[in-house]
Amino acid sequence: MHVKAEPADGDLVALTLRGNTEAFATLVERYDRAVYHLAYRTLHDVEEARDATQEAFFKAFRSLRTFRQGSKFSTWIFAITYHACCDRLNRRKHYASEELPDRADAAPGPEARVIALDEASRLRAAIDSLPEKYRTVVTLFHLQGKQYEEIATVLGLPMGTVKTHLFRAKEQLRRLLSGTEVTES
Amino acid sequence: MTMDELERAIMELPLEEPPDGLRASILLATAYHRPVPAFSLHEVAVFGTLGAVALWLIVLLVSGGGSLFVHTLSAISSVVLRSFSNVAFVSWLAAGSAAALWLTLLTGSHPIAALSHRSDRQDAR
Repeated sequence: MHVKAEPADGDLVALTLRGNTEAFATLVERYDRAVYHLAYRTLHDVEEARDATQEAFFKAFRSLRTFRQGSKFSTWIFAITYHACCDRLNRRKHYASEELPDRADAAPGPEARVIALDEASRLRAAIDSLPEKYRTVVTLFHLQGKQYEEIATVLGLPMGTVKTHLFRAKEQLRRLLSGTEVTES
Repeated sequence: MTMDELERAIMELPLEEPPDGLRASILLATAYHRPVPAFSLHEVAVFGTLGAVALWLIVLLVSGGGSLFVHTLSAISSVVLRSFSNVAFVSWLAAGSAAALWLTLLTGSHPIAALSHRSDRQDAR
């Protein structure tokens, strides 16, 4: 049986640059959910995550010519999304006197909520309770797997730092999920 | 829980469900975006009419059928030229303008002062 191969992301970018709008629509279909996931996990706000997702795809579409053939589209769009989210977080920090929502929650805190939830929800709540730098690394690990170099590219950090953040994040998650007290390092 | 189990659990987490209409709004803003026309339909109609009238006048002049139009234009221009070469006319015009300016200063409306004030503000900006 002959199975038609899915076009590669790089080919879809090339087709879009030649005026094929359906090619970009395919890229949107492929990545909108992952991009929204990254935005929501970073911003913790549905409306802002929605806006950041739209902004990321809009910027990607406008600057598609700067995409280097051979590099991964997912890494590129995630980097654009991450920067859009950072801008929003900075604006939030600038305009609000309070800390970011993930750390500003009143009691019961995310750690307390971890206990009563099912496995996936407990893990998600535990991830939410991590400091922002660890949470983002875990989210990208979820989206990109063990591609540390790609994660480092998205975050603009050295690969060693990414591995350290991920290790510490996993340590904290393990302790949170086993109910042990966690101290911020 | 071991590190491997934790990694597996992270990988198996479902992705967040995007809000309804997100994909459609992205596509409308990017791939399916249609640029807004520079002119609306009624603007095109007005410009078209003006263009047609201008074209009709040009054709009228070129084909010689517009001799009356040319004659009227030349009559108006000769009257204007004759008036401005008349010293008495220019004097009365100057007197009238001066009186109008003086009256506006008396009534508290200062168009010249207002103009200079506006230009000062623009310079300051």
